[in-house]
Amino acid sequence: MDILIYGVINSIALALMALGFALVYGISRVPNFAHGALYVVSGFVTWALLRAAGLHYFLSICISMSLTAILGGLIYQFVLIRVRGMPISEIIASYAIGLAILEGLRWGGFKGMTYTLPVFIDGSISIVGTPVDFHRLLVVLAGAAVVFLLWLFTRFTRTGLALRGMAQDERAALMLGIDSDFMAVVAMALGSMLAALAAVILLPLGNIVVEAGYNVLILAISVCIVGGLGSWMGAVLAAFLIGFAQIITVVYLGPHFQMVVALLAIIITLIIKPSGLFGRQKELEERV
Amino acid sequence: MLEACGLMVFYENMLALNNVSITCKKDQIVGVFGANSAGKSTLMYTLSGIIEDIKKKEEMSGGERITVQGSIYYKGDDITELKPSKRARKGMVLCPERRRIFKESSVIENLKIGGYLASKSQASATLDYVFKVFPALARLKNRVGGFLSGGEQQMLAIGRALMAQPQLLLMDEPLLGLSPLMQAVLIRATKEISEERGITILVTEQYARPVLPIVDYAFILENGAAVMEGTRDDLLKNPDVRSAYFGVS
Repeated sequence: MDILIYGVINSIALALMALGFALVYGISRVPNFAHGALYVVSGFVTWALLRAAGLHYFLSICISMSLTAILGGLIYQFVLIRVRGMPISEIIASYAIGLAILEGLRWGGFKGMTYTLPVFIDGSISIVGTPVDFHRLLVVLAGAAVVFLLWLFTRFTRTGLALRGMAQDERAALMLGIDSDFMAVVAMALGSMLAALAAVILLPLGNIVVEAGYNVLILAISVCIVGGLGSWMGAVLAAFLIGFAQIITVVYLGPHFQMVVALLAIIITLIIKPSGLFGRQKELEERV
Repeated sequence: MLEACGLMVFYENMLALNNVSITCKKDQIVGVFGANSAGKSTLMYTLSGIIEDIKKKEEMSGGERITVQGSIYYKGDDITELKPSKRARKGMVLCPERRRIFKESSVIENLKIGGYLASKSQASATLDYVFKVFPALARLKNRVGGFLSGGEQQMLAIGRALMAQPQLLLMDEPLLGLSPLMQAVLIRATKEISEERGITILVTEQYARPVLPIVDYAFILENGAAVMEGTRDDLLKNPDVRSAYFGVS
């Protein structure tokens, strides 16, 4: 029962971390290696607004999410747009930005275990004999809500539909008057906002540390590779696969192996099915 | 409506369009005929501005160097430097070669994505119109685009282009690889669209015969140059054109 409950929680946490990465890659084909840095930045911004500026918790979350979205959009507009279409340069540029942000934070004195965010609701509940605190339940709810809202957004709004069109055939979208450069900025801002959302929901469960940036990036990449790069549904499913695998290893082998599971998942996927679970388009290309 | 003067397009040193000048009057259906590699698609990409996007991508990946010269006027405005999405906004919509529909989206979603530039009321009105012109699409509404037949995909591509509220519709080889029956359906629909919606149409095709009955004026491209132009009757009278593009001698 422990495995089931904490598996679900862990899986949804993973899905939250990975969705932003999957979204950006799916639409603009830019692997955003600054994803983890944006995650940590929004954590620290929320902390600063809450503790240092003394704003209301909810308000600081909203401000931090919009700031991260703007930051993501700016990164795309001023840096990534210049190297678009050159995969290696995209990775180097975005990873360099991520490194600069993370190490800049470390250099700026944001280290140690002193930075924490309060949980939304204190207390815990017992589900069939397993104690679960309210905040973790909230993570599950928020994750489900995000997936559902994203689904609604990409199917019923003009911008969402345009993003989906662009993800499938950029040039065809261009012919229909969809400005692909602008849409890519929108996608990047949205992806950054999702990273920020994941951060404010997940960070209260632990400390805000710079290292989390690297871990989140690795987890997001492993989820996206297993699910098939660019496939959002694949990412959600892969999050459940890796999430449960992680919890099972924690229970039977020990918590040290959590990260190993994610990395092993990447390696196994690349050996057996390089296109991932749901990388349909790519699989076709490989066959041709 | 549309006037292109002295278009020259180079892929590296290869000349794809050689001093092509094309005019397209309002409410006409204008045909551009030419064999493979005569420059039809390049012409369409140049007119719709997609060539700018191709050029940018090639530059970034260090591929072919593409040079475009000449000028394009649309409704009297110089649009030579305009971004492709802006041209679509002005009412110039390209229905591309090989259809390029969104293969993972359903028919209705494809049309909705096409309606990005339309207002809500325009979109729903155009949607009804598309289903009226192509009743087959209404039946296949929820089918995923990639599972449609070639003809159905072409209908969808035209419908999708209509959703973008064009005033000038550029159709690049709409009959490519279709059965004569489907060709006839599409030709009839094209004529209908032009008349009922007041849309000017520029259509390219390799084989002129199926398209000729609806064409008001036509150009013939050969090796990137416009070698002949005239009304339907002018072209029919010319013996060279008859044998090369209509299959009659």
